[in-house]
Amino acid sequence: MPSAHKGVVSRRGPQPTGSYPHAHIQGNMVWVTAQAGRDPSSGELVEGGMAGQMDRAISNLEAILEECGSSLDRVIRTQIMYTDRADLEAMDEVYARRFHAPLPVRTTWGVKFLAAEPGTELVRVQIDCVAAAG
Amino acid sequence: MSKDLTITIDGAPEPRGPYVHARRHGVLVYVTAQIGRDPKTGDFVKGGFEAEFNQAIDNVEAILMAAGSSLDRVVKAQIEFVDESDLDAMNRIYGERFHEPLPARTSFGAAFLWKGARVQIDCIAALD
Repeated sequence: MPSAHKGVVSRRGPQPTGSYPHAHIQGNMVWVTAQAGRDPSSGELVEGGMAGQMDRAISNLEAILEECGSSLDRVIRTQIMYTDRADLEAMDEVYARRFHAPLPVRTTWGVKFLAAEPGTELVRVQIDCVAAAG
Repeated sequence: MSKDLTITIDGAPEPRGPYVHARRHGVLVYVTAQIGRDPKTGDFVKGGFEAEFNQAIDNVEAILMAAGSSLDRVVKAQIEFVDESDLDAMNRIYGERFHEPLPARTSFGAAFLWKGARVQIDCIAALD
């Protein structure tokens, strides 16, 4: 791996369930893997529907960013995928509470499904980001 | 704290959510996904997919210009659309609007987009 690159797996984010780290640092940019509303200690989806999952997913991003020397207020771009158009307002409400000026650019779209472990509540939303470090 | 510039302009539809039109960081400008809304009225343009996609690209272009970039400096574009039968029209219009050196591109079908939009496009572009 080139020395300017580093993969980061944080103990503060839900452990990855596939071949990816929580984040990849290159130069002064941090690229964060999409996070769902999973509890970092149990790996289980949190309760509370869209609002609960979105809030937890952003907390996971925040923990990973901090481990990488960045923070939510240095996020440049986010991508949000969600499964139910009726969740839009709940999603935006949580997002607006967690992100403050300078706000990132954002791309949001509806998807057919998001990866879920068998026997758990449906994953309703996931969010990834690109942020500045340092 | 970052000294990144955030850009939100009158020449593109007013954000209907907690985001800005563009962010400059380093040598790149990142643009929020744009849909076919008229910047003046905020409403979807009439004329179906083709009109919406052209307007969305117009919106991206206006934002890029305000950010100090342009369509011909786009490095990567991403397109989401909801109806597979719009693929040919999407490719044709995209080919009319983007020229060499063409950006890298990812496009895919979405289950749904904001308030019934048929298509949206975002991009990352160079400032130089």
